[in-house]
Amino acid sequence: MKRRAFLATVVGLPLVAQAQSRDEYFSSFNPDALAKSVTGGVAARRGRVKLELPLLADNGNSVPVKIAVQSPMTPADHVRSIRLLSERNPEREMAVFHLGPRAGVAEISSRVRLAGSQRVVALAEMSGGSWWMETADVVVTLSACIDGTG
Amino acid sequence: MTTRRDFLKISTAVGGGLSLGISFSTVEAQKGAPEINAWVVVQPDDRVIIRYARSEMGQGSMTSAAQLVAEELECDWSKVRVEYADTNAQVLRKRAWGDMAAVGSRTIRQSQQYLRTAGATARIMLVTAAAKGWGVPEGECSAANNVITHGPSGRKTSFGKVAAAAAKLEAPREVKLKDAKDWKVIGKPIQRVDIPATVMGQQRYGIDAQVPGMVYAAVAQCPVFGGKVKSFDGSKVAKRRGVLQVVPLEDFVAVVADNWWRAKEALRQLPVVWDYGPAATVSSEGILQQLRAGLDAQSEVVTAKKQGDAAQAMSGAAKVIEAEYFTPYLAHATLEPQGATALIKDGRVDVWTSTQNAEGTHATAAAVAGVPLENVFVHRMQLGGGFGRRGAQDYTRQAVLVAKAMPGTPVKVLWTREEDTQHDFYRPISLVRFKAGLDASGMPVAWQSRVAAPSIIATLLKLPLKEGIDPQAVASFADQPYTIPNVNIEYAQRNPHVPVGFWRTVGHSQNPYMRECFIDELASAAGKDPYEYRLSLLPASSKERSILEATAKAANWGSALPAGVHRGIATTEAYGSYTSVVAELSVSAVGVVDIKRLVLGVDPGYAVNPDNIVAQMQGSAVFMLTAMFWGEITVKEGRVEQSNFHDQRMMRLREMPRVEVVLAPTGGFWGGIGEPGQASIAPAICNAIFAASGKRVRSLPLTKQGFELA
Repeated sequence: MKRRAFLATVVGLPLVAQAQSRDEYFSSFNPDALAKSVTGGVAARRGRVKLELPLLADNGNSVPVKIAVQSPMTPADHVRSIRLLSERNPEREMAVFHLGPRAGVAEISSRVRLAGSQRVVALAEMSGGSWWMETADVVVTLSACIDGTG
Repeated sequence: MTTRRDFLKISTAVGGGLSLGISFSTVEAQKGAPEINAWVVVQPDDRVIIRYARSEMGQGSMTSAAQLVAEELECDWSKVRVEYADTNAQVLRKRAWGDMAAVGSRTIRQSQQYLRTAGATARIMLVTAAAKGWGVPEGECSAANNVITHGPSGRKTSFGKVAAAAAKLEAPREVKLKDAKDWKVIGKPIQRVDIPATVMGQQRYGIDAQVPGMVYAAVAQCPVFGGKVKSFDGSKVAKRRGVLQVVPLEDFVAVVADNWWRAKEALRQLPVVWDYGPAATVSSEGILQQLRAGLDAQSEVVTAKKQGDAAQAMSGAAKVIEAEYFTPYLAHATLEPQGATALIKDGRVDVWTSTQNAEGTHATAAAVAGVPLENVFVHRMQLGGGFGRRGAQDYTRQAVLVAKAMPGTPVKVLWTREEDTQHDFYRPISLVRFKAGLDASGMPVAWQSRVAAPSIIATLLKLPLKEGIDPQAVASFADQPYTIPNVNIEYAQRNPHVPVGFWRTVGHSQNPYMRECFIDELASAAGKDPYEYRLSLLPASSKERSILEATAKAANWGSALPAGVHRGIATTEAYGSYTSVVAELSVSAVGVVDIKRLVLGVDPGYAVNPDNIVAQMQGSAVFMLTAMFWGEITVKEGRVEQSNFHDQRMMRLREMPRVEVVLAPTGGFWGGIGEPGQASIAPAICNAIFAASGKRVRSLPLTKQGFELA
């Protein structure tokens, strides 16, 4: 199954109820605007960045994340930094990884803490000054006897 | 070893044959029965399968959720069968069933809209298919009891006959749901679908999972929370009869054997050296000191609610009342200890377990085994008690970890009662200081509370707290219903090393006890009747007021009682429902509490299954009476002192008082049922104990305060 197909409804209520679409769910969240707050106003383009997160996580304590950016990683053309942004965490900018040509490949593997179901944004800053981005959604299936979280 | 094909046959036999609710939705789909939508399958013989996404643990939601679908479907309830939605299908089908967690008394509250819509959508598709077949306008057709009738001609057909055609239709985008006054299935005391298997001994719980070739694992975790395995000598038990493997993992050791007793006995003989970590010296006294310091602290305290100027109003009050209340840690003590069975084979993971969150179990299995979500299959077993404990995935994680060490072999991890008691996520301990200022007429003009307690949300879920406030820790204080002009509620989050979690009714299992007892103290100081005192503080429109009145009326509040018998009363909101309790009891000279009756009123808004609501209220009384008389988890040298039912007593059958449930639904909202029933019980009983003995119970359990249950 394609990730995109899964994600299309994964965050909404069940399909039969004609419930929230993904767009409605994220209506208050604009990844491009969030990206701009980091890039200093430069619009980030889609592509070149691959972001992997599990579609479902039992809890948000330690969610594995992988980011890979297409780049020759030469002195002339390399990834300068990779940033991970969160839709819902109190710290929007979860991580900054600084890279250089000596890194060889622009790949990061780490774990992040997520404050509930949300969209995560990965941003790559190139040595030429351009920015690239990718987003991924993760559902955190909280087993909480409370309202208003998850 | 079984092949995958065999395995599938076996596992579906295990699931499908034994009881209602444990069959595979995907299996039904393979049989070709037309699926009208994710929730409704209609078989050619007219039987209707309604799917249920959350978990059944005795709370009855499997039945009441299906009632919501059936109401709009206009089906014949006698032909309905309820089965679990499958988590693998959930992943493949874009999460078609939404939230699968049975937590927070929210099955009905959160799913009623989409479940009723699913029923209505399916009905329209069935009616449309029939109308198309007859070549008549669908507006001339109607459905009732699985039969579709064309009004003008009187022609009839059944759901089963048109289901295949209906399944091919597009779902209507908008449906109109019935008015509450037209409900025929909602509001009816329909027999619970899970009960026959339970009473006939046919129910299969997680502990009952049987998979061919299965081996058994007993596990030991560090007795001190936060500790780790330092070293162990597996050779000491490797040659014991039946022992197959000793699996060391970072925070626990598992001994695997050909039967569970051998595994458990070998584990008992296994010398494990633990690194206890920094908590090895912590005791209950130290934890209490930590909370007490929180009551007096000037820093690390947040204001959860501020209204008016409580300090100033207090200084001008005619009378100031102060009290401190305490509630202990509590274990869930589910009758079925924690455990799970797991098999990892050819990149596929199967888990058989009782879980309150099958989707969380699915995610955990995938993450721990390192396989894609599509390759995980969770076989949902009946829960032998949940109470919030089975929302945690710790035991599933263990089963998958051990299975990972033995690929191709199904492993059943089963905890001992002792392991279960000592490795829970406990109801938080809590110490609360109250201070109220009364005016000359005895009415409160100022109310201050400070809560010193751990935060479940910050420590278990590790979610950020909004402005440092855990809503559960201050529940029923920050949102108390009484008209008091100056209120100040503070929260001192103090987190001892003992892990805390969601114990049935959570914050409302303890805070209404404190609040409603303290209100009683104010009424007493004012020389007023506790019922009348509450009424004078509750706005005319409040739901607490209406349920309080209904309950007091049913209990004949104010009428004469036999000599020595006294009453206590309490009311509160919890999980969107409103409850009140009147307790009638006597207290002997040596503190024996003889509860004559509990009158328990509940307003859940809409009452979907009245019989189940009555049962839930009665069950809540069992659970809360056990907790308030005996429930307590204490800590010594970093570990839990209690271990089994000899030192963590349950209420016995003969001790159960009469519970009269006053079901008073006022409509217009959907409240929870699984948890609210507990909230008003402890304060009503403690207030009656005061009326009978003159002694205020400001600390639980009652047996520690010199009281016994008759």
